[in-house]
Amino acid sequence: MKRRISTRAGLTLGTALGMAVLAGGAAAQDCTTKVGAVLPTSVDWGRPIAETAQFVVDQVNEAGGVAGCRIEMVLRDTQVDPKVGVDAAKALVDLDGVQVLLGAVSSGVSMPILTSVTVPGKVMQMSCCSSSTAFTTLAEEGKAGGLWFRTFATTGVQAAVGAKVAADQGYKSVAILYKNDDWGQDLGKLIASDFEALGIEVTASVAINDGQPSFRAEVTEAMAGNPDALYLGLYPNEGTAAVREWLSLGGTQNMILANSLKSDEFRDNVGLQYLGNALGTDTASPRVASADAFVERYKARFDSEPNGPGLANSYDATMIALLAMEAAGKDATGEEIAAQVSRVTDPEGTPVTADAEGFAAARQVLADGGSVMYQGATGNVRFDANGDVSAPAVVWSFTESGTEEVQYLSLDEVDGFIASLK
Amino acid sequence: MIQHLLDGILIGAILSLGAIGLTMVMHMLRFANFSHAELLSIGAYAALVFDKLFKVLMPVLADQIGPLSMTWALVLAIVLSMALTGASAVLFDRLVFRRVREKGEELSMVFASFGLALIVRNVIGLVFGLHTQLYSQDIVFAVVLSRDPLLLVKPDQLAALAATLAIMAALHLVLSRTTFGYALRAVAENPVLAQVNGIDLRRMIVIVWLLGGGLASLAGVFYGLSNQISPVIGRDLVLPIFAATIVGGIGSIYGAVLGGFIVGIAANLALFVLPSGYSPSVPFLIIIAVLLLRPNGLFGEART
Repeated sequence: MKRRISTRAGLTLGTALGMAVLAGGAAAQDCTTKVGAVLPTSVDWGRPIAETAQFVVDQVNEAGGVAGCRIEMVLRDTQVDPKVGVDAAKALVDLDGVQVLLGAVSSGVSMPILTSVTVPGKVMQMSCCSSSTAFTTLAEEGKAGGLWFRTFATTGVQAAVGAKVAADQGYKSVAILYKNDDWGQDLGKLIASDFEALGIEVTASVAINDGQPSFRAEVTEAMAGNPDALYLGLYPNEGTAAVREWLSLGGTQNMILANSLKSDEFRDNVGLQYLGNALGTDTASPRVASADAFVERYKARFDSEPNGPGLANSYDATMIALLAMEAAGKDATGEEIAAQVSRVTDPEGTPVTADAEGFAAARQVLADGGSVMYQGATGNVRFDANGDVSAPAVVWSFTESGTEEVQYLSLDEVDGFIASLK
Repeated sequence: MIQHLLDGILIGAILSLGAIGLTMVMHMLRFANFSHAELLSIGAYAALVFDKLFKVLMPVLADQIGPLSMTWALVLAIVLSMALTGASAVLFDRLVFRRVREKGEELSMVFASFGLALIVRNVIGLVFGLHTQLYSQDIVFAVVLSRDPLLLVKPDQLAALAATLAIMAALHLVLSRTTFGYALRAVAENPVLAQVNGIDLRRMIVIVWLLGGGLASLAGVFYGLSNQISPVIGRDLVLPIFAATIVGGIGSIYGAVLGGFIVGIAANLALFVLPSGYSPSVPFLIIIAVLLLRPNGLFGEART
């Protein structure tokens, strides 16, 4: 009985506090605009992505909201499941009437949302973390309606840098092992064409299914052409098994690894002594002041380093979406908002910082009819015609304690190299 | 080609060990036990724990045996693990299958086995974590058997194959030459009639579980040696093992052995025909082909 009373007391207190907060917010602006977010909050790395998005919304509200209205982010869980994600997005668009949808994380979830919810509903979709080049293809075919944006570099960057490593190391022939899922097939195809563009022979390109009794047959097939090096687009689990098999059969220790293998588990189970010639690739944060400023802001708010995947990207996705809403004005449709994205990420525009002051400054510039250059957590974000961004990259290698950076490629170097492949 | 054949035989040995237990249980207790493959996981992890324990308690045992990555500690651990896995199979029967058998029907048993498989897999994941583990971090390099055609074999796998063949031979002798073997076959043939003839059905069931569990444990350890240990070993191997059982014909131990080798070899040779992305479909294709051509399997008999 006693416990029940205290629960009720707690509830009442909570409700009262909630009301107070709501009342405080509502006092500043007398209207509310909803934005939708579909993110995998039920997985441990998904929650910080959602919290980062909410952090941006809080700062924008602090700066007076968007077009005079307070922003409310309605968050729904995708459970990393396409069906759940589509349902969540549908509910947000149909029931909450959002014009801007943030998310999802996985390409496999973002894609059905884009094709079956946001494009038919003419809602702008901004993803923090989807990297598949399938979106680029879709946009090139004009099927994304100009409504799709993402602040995460495509798999194309990862593949191009992998090919650059092979060329720099002087490998003449490479065998590819790729994970047999959307990401791996995408990566496998991209890197094979990049290798060819550089005149490096691809001796074999073999799909690896996880959960196989043995990878022996696949590894034997990859070994057939006796390549100079091995490219691995795998996850640590099957990556460990495949590489151990590869090494035990006398395969070369010259390896190029995708960022998914940047894991202690992989290093320990394969053994550092065999990974001396293994070079990994990854996209990186730009070495600019606005990225450092994000890290400081994040630490002040969450009391931890922004180490999880996609946090800086989630921050920028949310901020750019809200800036575009501000530029489009009150009650704008998704298409009108999407059309304003280039105006808030204009390289010629007035630079604005990625915080409350920056947002207020941007509001001023936009009201005067100008354009702004958003300087965010991932640098000066610039979308191409397909809604894609590029990113700086690093080449890394394994050490006793983790990984170390071997080489840093700035955004210009990466873009220049990718252009040279075409 | 010959290399693929050889690889298939090495993998097939593991599948055969798993399939022997499954086919015996399926024949005697008349239900498809989807939790059988989880016994491989239990065996692999039990051996991992005992192996670590022995290495700490008796450092003498931590030396590797000849060219193998196996140590004497692991050999001892395998023996204990076989006993433990057999015991846990008996325990599962006591806790779950016996109760369902007495009250439910065949289909309830199948569902119960599904549930049990989920529980076992997740408990292992909870206790040991979802990451992969290894008996030995060292990579044992393959030995060149012949230069032309190039034949590479890992010593561990040859040892596993030899052990498997030895155990199969022993099993064959027991089944064909002892009273116990006759009793076992009698029970499988007709449980009621066997009981009339003075065979203790309960005791036979316990023995079948012990045997099945022990062999599954061995398969799990051999799999862990040549691959890696993770809580999803059972999930990954359940299909190939079922395929081996069905190919051989339910109830036939020799069929299970042959089925294991057929599935292992077919999965390896499939890469000549199929793109590598489709290799997981091979066990399914084999099951379909066998059910179409010989619905009772190669060695199975029609049963009403």
